[in-house]
Amino acid sequence: MIARIANILALSTSIKRIALVAADGAALPTAAAGAHVLLHIPGPRRVWKNAYSLVSAPDERSKYEIIVRRVENSRGGSAWLHDHAAIGQDIEISLPANLFPIARTAQKHLLLSAGIGITPFLAYLPVLQAGAENFEWHHCCKQADAPAFAALLPSGRDITLHTSRNTLDLEKLLGRQKLNTHLYVCGPAEFMDVAVATAQKLGWPAAKIHKESFGGATGGAPFTVKLAKSNIMVEVGPEESLLEALEAAGLNPPCLCRGGACGECELPVLEGVPEHHDHFLSAQKRAANSAIMTCVSRAKTILVLDF
Amino acid sequence: MIKSRPIYEPFRIDPAGRAHLIVTDLSALPEDIGELEFSNIELWVVHVVAPGIQAQDSAPRAFRAVADLLATLAVRLRREQVGFRLYAVGTEPFLWDVHNAARAAGLGKGEILLTHAGSLKRRVYCTHCKTMNEDVTTSIVKCRACNANLFVRDHFSRRLAAFMGVAVDAEVPGEIPAAEVLYP
Repeated sequence: MIARIANILALSTSIKRIALVAADGAALPTAAAGAHVLLHIPGPRRVWKNAYSLVSAPDERSKYEIIVRRVENSRGGSAWLHDHAAIGQDIEISLPANLFPIARTAQKHLLLSAGIGITPFLAYLPVLQAGAENFEWHHCCKQADAPAFAALLPSGRDITLHTSRNTLDLEKLLGRQKLNTHLYVCGPAEFMDVAVATAQKLGWPAAKIHKESFGGATGGAPFTVKLAKSNIMVEVGPEESLLEALEAAGLNPPCLCRGGACGECELPVLEGVPEHHDHFLSAQKRAANSAIMTCVSRAKTILVLDF
Repeated sequence: MIKSRPIYEPFRIDPAGRAHLIVTDLSALPEDIGELEFSNIELWVVHVVAPGIQAQDSAPRAFRAVADLLATLAVRLRREQVGFRLYAVGTEPFLWDVHNAARAAGLGKGEILLTHAGSLKRRVYCTHCKTMNEDVTTSIVKCRACNANLFVRDHFSRRLAAFMGVAVDAEVPGEIPAAEVLYP
C-alpha cells in the first residue's frame, strides 16, 4: 500500500522517528505489538526493501511510526530515509506482519534490547502496561546514544537503561527467573548471540526465548547460484543479498521478514555449500546444507537451488 | 491412530537442564530406565507406607498418594527457576495431571517430558454427565454417576487429561457389546 510521510523527528544525529499515514487518508490496518512493515526505499539502481518495527501503539490506526538508525556504510535504505525522505513524500509499504508477538501464556516478560533493538518493545509497552502485566526491561546502548534512548524510555522500576556492560549481569538476571517467565531479545547480532547463548547455558528452553533481529543482509563476497527449475544463473554481488539478486533477476521468491528469522524464504539446496547467517534453520538442517534462507545467507561455492 | 492420541517419548535426562525432578506414580522407576548419571536429579515416588513405618528420608522422596505428590509439586514449581526440567513417568492419567500442573506453573515445550510406564488404565470422561471414571481397563465401562454404558474412545483430551467415553447403546438402548480388557 502507499503511505505518506507525515512527520520526521530527529531523536539524535543518527536516529530519526518517522510517522507514516495512508496516502488516501484511510485508517491503517491494526498491527499487534511486535509487528513490522517493509518500506520500499528507492535507490539509484534498485529498490531496497527494509523491515522496520512499528513503535506506535498497536491500536493506533491513524499512523504507523518507525524509528530508523542511520547505519554506518549504509547500502542505501537507512541513508535514504535520513538524507532524502521528506514530509509529504509517498512511499510503498507492505502490510504489517508480526514475527515477534508477546507470548500470551507468559506470566512475566523479560525484555532485553540493545541499540535500535528498542523499537518492538516500545510497541509492547502500552500493551503490557494496560494489562498490568509483570515485566522487566533492560535496554543497553552506547553512552553517546543514552539521551536519545532515555527520552524514549518511560521511567519506572521495571525499566533500566544500561550504558555500560558492567551494570547488566546477564547470567544473574537469566539465572533467577521463575518458570513462568518468557525472554524476548532484540538488538544487534553480537548482543543477541550473547543473550541467547547465556540463556541456553542456563537451561532456557527454545520455546521461551523469543528473538528478532533486522538488517542481517550486509553483503559479502560475490557468488553464483544456478536455479534448477527456472534454468538460469544469477550472480549475487558483494552488496546485495541472494534474495535481492533473485528479485533483481525478475523472479518472485518467497520472503517475509528479510532478516533470517521467519523461515518464509527457505529454498532447497541441491548442490553447493551455503554460508548460513539465519536464526531459523535447525542445527541438523544447517549441517545437512540442504536448505538456505535467501534473505541473509550466502555461499562460498556455486549453489544449485531447487527454484 | 486418532490424532489426539498422545505419543510418549522414551525416558532421557535433558542435559541442557540445570535441575531435574522426576515424579512417578509407581513405587520406583521402571527397571529399563536404569542408572541416572547426571547430577542434581531428584526423584519423587508414590509409595503406600504402612502405618507406624517411617518413610525413608533419603532419596527417593516417597508420597502416600498421588494427590499428595501433585499438591507438593504445585508448590515446588512456583519456587523453581528457569533451567528446571520436569519428568513424569507412569500411568497416563498421572502423566497428564503432572503435565497440567506444570503448564499452570508456566512450564512449556522442552521443559516437561512424559514417559508412559506401568498400567495402561485410562481415566474416562463421561461425555453425558461429565463425570471422571478412574482406573478403567475395559473397552466399555459403566459410568459411576449416570450408569451409562460408555464406549472408551481413543480420543484423548489434554485439557481434561482423560479419554472420552460415549454411550455405546445410544442407537439401540440396551444393546451392549461385551466389554473386553484392553487397557490392563
